Amino acid sequence: MKDIARLNMSIKVTSLDALNDQIQMEGKASSSYLAMASWCDQNSYSGSAALFYRQASEEREHMMKIFKFINDCGGNAISPEISNINHDFSSLEEIFETALEQEIAVTKSINKIISLAKKTEDYAVENFLQWFVKEQLEEEKSMRDILDLFEVMGREGIAIKLIDERIK
Amino acid sequence: MKVVFRSKFYTLYQSDKEKCHYLDMDQKTIKLSFCQFLALRTKVRNIAIEDHFDSDLNKHGFEILMLCNKEHLFILNTLELLDLKSLVECSFMTIDIDQIASRTI
Repeated sequence: MKDIARLNMSIKVTSLDALNDQIQMEGKASSSYLAMASWCDQNSYSGSAALFYRQASEEREHMMKIFKFINDCGGNAISPEISNINHDFSSLEEIFETALEQEIAVTKSINKIISLAKKTEDYAVENFLQWFVKEQLEEEKSMRDILDLFEVMGREGIAIKLIDERIK
Repeated sequence: MKVVFRSKFYTLYQSDKEKCHYLDMDQKTIKLSFCQFLALRTKVRNIAIEDHFDSDLNKHGFEILMLCNKEHLFILNTLELLDLKSLVECSFMTIDIDQIASRTI
């Protein structure tokens, strides 16, 4: 039998599935950042709100990048259904902890797809995802830097407001 | 045309010449481009078969399946759905195994 999948698509079906799962993950991350931005706005943390609005937009850009890549390769990109977004947080620090955990989960998922692509000799996917590896390093670092501020400046009274003002 | 996989009710064929698949759904045979075949797989995977065993979630035990940009419409019962799910998954597995075998030989 001819390899019809390969004749129609430049990437492997296993990579296609993994990338569609990643679209879902990036979409959920974008919505999650929006929920965080909303909480920050409601609690007058305007610096953090601005950061999370920007993050939400960045995650959507990541999602679109993967979406376009799949379709450009002849695959079938699936628009994600997003539900169960958490809107309840108890502190600004908790929000940044959640954001860091979310970024780590995204990094792990990207690494997993790269590992799969290597295993199946899907070098186009591996090459495409290299940009995401670099991006994730930056995303994780920016969240860790903000969490360090809580250690340095404290968590009481005016300290939180000062931390928020430092966040750009 | 070569048979890719045959389940109890359905058969998937591959046409190397036309670079597409044909799905014999018993009532009729439909032509599927590779992208349409992928879309069918997504649709079938997204069907919550568990709902068929809960009369509150799926009262009648039927599912409406629209294929190829609503060109074809099928009404399937639980057994037919289970069979279609198995056909789709096994077909992809067969295609995979065939490619691995052809590379190895």
